[in-house]
Amino acid sequence: MSDNALIHLDLLQLVYAYALILLSISLARFRQIGQERQMLWASLRMVVQLLAVGYLLQLVFTVRSPLLVILILLTMTGFSLQIIGSRIKQRMPGFYRIMGSSIIIGCGGVTFYFCLLVVGYTPWYDPRYLIPLAGMIIGNSMNGASLAAERLAAEMQQRHDELETALCLGATARQAAEPILRTAYKAALIPTINTMAATGIVALPGMMTGQILSGTAPMLAVRYQIAIMCAITAAVAITALLILLQGYRGYFTPADQLQRPHSSS
Amino acid sequence: MPATATSPLLQLEQLTSVRPGSQGQTIPVLEGLTCSFHQGSLTALIGPSGSGKSSLIRLINRLDDPLQGRILLEGLDIRELSPPLLRQRIGMMLQKTHLFEGTVLDNLQLPFSYRKKPLPGPDDPEVIRCLTLARLTPDFLQRDARTLSGGQQQRVSLARALISRPQALLLDEPTSALDRPATDSLGQTLQELCRSEQLAVILVTHDLRLAERISDQTIYLEAGRIVEAGRTAELFAQPQSEGLQKFLAEPEDERH
Repeated sequence: MSDNALIHLDLLQLVYAYALILLSISLARFRQIGQERQMLWASLRMVVQLLAVGYLLQLVFTVRSPLLVILILLTMTGFSLQIIGSRIKQRMPGFYRIMGSSIIIGCGGVTFYFCLLVVGYTPWYDPRYLIPLAGMIIGNSMNGASLAAERLAAEMQQRHDELETALCLGATARQAAEPILRTAYKAALIPTINTMAATGIVALPGMMTGQILSGTAPMLAVRYQIAIMCAITAAVAITALLILLQGYRGYFTPADQLQRPHSSS
Repeated sequence: MPATATSPLLQLEQLTSVRPGSQGQTIPVLEGLTCSFHQGSLTALIGPSGSGKSSLIRLINRLDDPLQGRILLEGLDIRELSPPLLRQRIGMMLQKTHLFEGTVLDNLQLPFSYRKKPLPGPDDPEVIRCLTLARLTPDFLQRDARTLSGGQQQRVSLARALISRPQALLLDEPTSALDRPATDSLGQTLQELCRSEQLAVILVTHDLRLAERISDQTIYLEAGRIVEAGRTAELFAQPQSEGLQKFLAEPEDERH
């Protein structure tokens, strides 16, 4: 089978697929409803990034150095941080430190657990498994992580009077922040919980669909999907929890006082 | 009568505090302020906006810390106490007081849950005592706290501040959202409470009429300094400083 013929066919299909985005942009422009620029920019970014990652993965899959694989994972984490940071307007004190450590511990921990115990391949750093799985776990956790961070910052500001009232009544910082932590945690988990509940009824998950399309037996694809959904849920839950438990502290002094608002975030 | 013969409950010594400005500089708020407060005495803190009244009482229960100086509670530096414990001994009603979602009883139970104590029921003598002190009846306990009138909400907030049996009560403009009858009524409650519970009550207010009616002592602040302090009746009758004379003569709406 000739590679060229395959690539050529793929490209044409891609052009057809991208036409959908161009159609959406034209519609948006025609109805003057906005978001054309965002759709165009994000879609171009998506195409370039995925193509780049495709070439990179071909290269990376030949890598046999655990150090290099870890480095790649850290770079992925860095990019996810950059994306979360640019999406969020209000940032908690120590934003990048907290988000970075929470993603590394939450997503990293779950990824390694998943790779070692659930899939159980050797060697553990085999980039063919580790990198796509880590990518899927981090990518899916980003949404939850940014929701947790965003909600925490917004609620801390909005509910200033409530926090101070609680402190006046003898609450510790943690007790005063508790209702806010609950709200933010709920906000972070709702999309994941909804996705789990709707899976298989409302939508067939992308990974499973992809596996089925590429010839995997449906039941095997389903098992993989169940496993990965468990991993994603745990990663979101643990990452969000770590973000919140570290994040709220930055709003208080060690003497259970609210930090004075600073002009910079 | 204020118990001036006994040692004061609270001693504020040489307090200096600053707040951060918009360009990263610091703005002085209090400048070397010294005063003391006794149990059973109601002190009004008056002065123009920005004179440091609210900032001062926020230091007393450590919602903020001073840059310099110290505050003694029965001779003990308040920084020696854990802040939650200190705030149980020194109750405070913030200007923007917040009633939590739920019933009045839920709100009164909060301080207990913070201390991990069993929650008192609606018949608990302590709950009834605080309701009575705040001039509320037991039928309020099951009402949704957030649907009450402004005056009733302030009373719930007052009862909630009393439930930890504090020795001092700090009030930041408790009547600013109330009409005249509600203000007078709350003022009278505060006055009675101060006597019966031997509380050191410190009241920040713009309402000079209220201050004159209910307080024993008055402290007049200007630009972070005490300009004049003394018995309320004397201070209002014969203000010594030019600043206070002017302040008392201003029409009420310009004072805010």
